[in-house]
Amino acid sequence: MWKYILKRLLLLIFTLFLVITVTFFLMQIMPGTPFNNPKLTPEALAQLKTTYGLDLPLWQQYLNYLIGAAHGDFGTSFQYQNQPVSMLIGQRLPVSAQLGAQALVVGVIAGLFMGAASARNKNNKIDGTLGVISTLGISIPSFILGIVLVYVFGFKWPLFPVSGWGDSFSQTILPTIALAVSPAAVTTRFVRSEMIESLGSDYVQLAKAKGLSAKEIVNQHAYRNSMIPVLTLIGPMAAGLLTGSTLIEQIFSIPGIGQQFVLSIPSKDFPVIMGTTIVYSAMLMVMILITDILTAIIDPRVRLQ
Amino acid sequence: MSNPILKVENLHVNFNTYAGTVQAIRDVSFDLNEGETLAIVGESGSGKSVTTKTLMGLNAKNASIPDNSRLLFKDRNLLDLKESEWQSVRGNEIAMIFQDPMTSLDPTMKIGMQIAEPLIKHRQMKKEDALARALELMKGVGIPNAEGHINDYPHQWSGGMRQRAVVAIALAADPEILIADEPTTALDVTIQAQILNLMKDLQKETGSSIIFITHDLGVVAGMANRVAVMYAGKIVEYGTVDEIFFNPQHPYTWGLLNSMPTTDTQVGSLEAIPGTPPDLLMPPKGDAFASRNVYALAIDSKEEPPFFRVSDTHYAATWLLDERAPKVTPPLQIQKRWARWQEIQGQEA
Ligand SMILES: Nc1ncnc2c1ncn2[C@@H]1O[C@H](COP(=O)(O)OP(=O)(O)OP(=O)(O)O)[C@@H](O)[C@H]1O
Ligand SMILES: [Mg+2]
Repeated sequence: MWKYILKRLLLLIFTLFLVITVTFFLMQIMPGTPFNNPKLTPEALAQLKTTYGLDLPLWQQYLNYLIGAAHGDFGTSFQYQNQPVSMLIGQRLPVSAQLGAQALVVGVIAGLFMGAASARNKNNKIDGTLGVISTLGISIPSFILGIVLVYVFGFKWPLFPVSGWGDSFSQTILPTIALAVSPAAVTTRFVRSEMIESLGSDYVQLAKAKGLSAKEIVNQHAYRNSMIPVLTLIGPMAAGLLTGSTLIEQIFSIPGIGQQFVLSIPSKDFPVIMGTTIVYSAMLMVMILITDILTAIIDPRVRLQ
Repeated sequence: MSNPILKVENLHVNFNTYAGTVQAIRDVSFDLNEGETLAIVGESGSGKSVTTKTLMGLNAKNASIPDNSRLLFKDRNLLDLKESEWQSVRGNEIAMIFQDPMTSLDPTMKIGMQIAEPLIKHRQMKKEDALARALELMKGVGIPNAEGHINDYPHQWSGGMRQRAVVAIALAADPEILIADEPTTALDVTIQAQILNLMKDLQKETGSSIIFITHDLGVVAGMANRVAVMYAGKIVEYGTVDEIFFNPQHPYTWGLLNSMPTTDTQVGSLEAIPGTPPDLLMPPKGDAFASRNVYALAIDSKEEPPFFRVSDTHYAATWLLDERAPKVTPPLQIQKRWARWQEIQGQEA
């Protein structure tokens, strides 16, 4: 187990190295320059380039970046002068992480309940209604939902604050809902089909023959069997949340890394773009690793090797 | 011996489907005596599993059973039970061994716990006590080093061992009736014999009655006291094992015996009965077997044969037993088999 985790962590570092390399060179293709103030004199521009090491040959810039990254130094932002990228991200990451975690937990739990309710009422009204809801939840992008929520609960019936972060918990409610809908819908559909399969399985038939009630069968057999496969969804759902959160943070003025990422692109703030990309990749890979470990702990059939 | 613990009277089971009503069980009656093993044999689709599921109250949702059908067990008609009452019968008074051990255990639950479940449910045992009893049951069904394996999950076990666990689950609450629906078809031959012997031994200990479903007459001889032969949702012949094997009267029983594999290929042919069973959406008039029966009489296509008495324990529903019918002798192949069996028995004696 520990050997396996170590192996996966090494693989993770190697993958991050690839991500850095690819993003670094892609960044060079990006048109424009970060210093596009027309008032800058050629001397000042040259001065700036020297400060940020942009006058060095490309391979040297790349090496410098790698060496820095290995030490946790991701350069300084062009946009917020003299602010190290690691510090900028460090301040904003907890905000995004909290939002993502809240959305994931709310979404998955809601999905488990709705999926199970759907399966147990297969083909009747409850199932049909939940089917429509989950189809909508999957097909409507979270930012549209965010805008609708802002309009409905911010302006029509102003029940919740629609912007900011950190002053009160109620600020987190609308963005969490906007982000949670998609994972909730995905989980609902997945749990529904897993549960239906489980309820039709031979071991449920045997559980009935033991004299267990429908409720005992669901609680003691069907639930565990249909929840284990849900773990495999958490990786892809986390990826969806990362991309979803960039726009949601914009809409609700949340000072997370998503917002910063979006702002850094038009201003060609290369170090911030790079840093954020790396953080996103690392978070995603860590999530997948965690779900793999969880699966191995919960599912007796899975062995890590 | 002939003290019935279960009486099935005029059982009909219909399934409502888009295509119409499938008449899967059409007027089945039989008794199950205390401590005996009754084998129900018949081709695929003859209604064996539907019969057993009905006895467990586990039929599919689209099943309907008319009011005159009765399953009498301990002074009550099981067909009158509410779902909650059924739950105290299932796994407690009547238990079932399923066919496929690879799929009938919950892959995510420890085997010991799966055996303990009926005890917790029906005997109101505490978890520790139930697990202690589960361990005894595991030893009882011959699981080696049971202590070391009580916390195993199904995937860690072979098919034969899993089927032993399935047997232990069925026996956990000490049921009066054990239903085994093809309990060994998913296992290879040597393991089959082990499981069958295990069931016989356990029956001697517990004195429970067994309904043993199979389409393999070969296993019946060693397992059962009596045999009921099913065809197209009806019992067409029943009697003691000796009566069915050595004095069968129904041409369908002849066909089944003829298709039975023997260790000795020179004797008898391994022939399946030609033709296919009738469509139970529209069962034919008269004797349902007539279209496949080379001995069919004119009356077979008009009127259904009643049961004719062969002995006190042996009845067959074929017009051939009517006094007006021409005398027919069983096919040559079967006669050869009898000769061979007698030879073997002589050698063994
Ligand atoms: N839920 C159902 N709906 C419609 N028809 C059904 C249903 N269940 C069983 N049947 C039909 O009832 C008949 C008897 O089926 P059953 O499963 O009892 O056969 P069997 O004798 O056990 O056969 P096998 O040896 O293949 O197990 C078959 O024609 C089958 O198609
Ligand atoms: Mg069957």
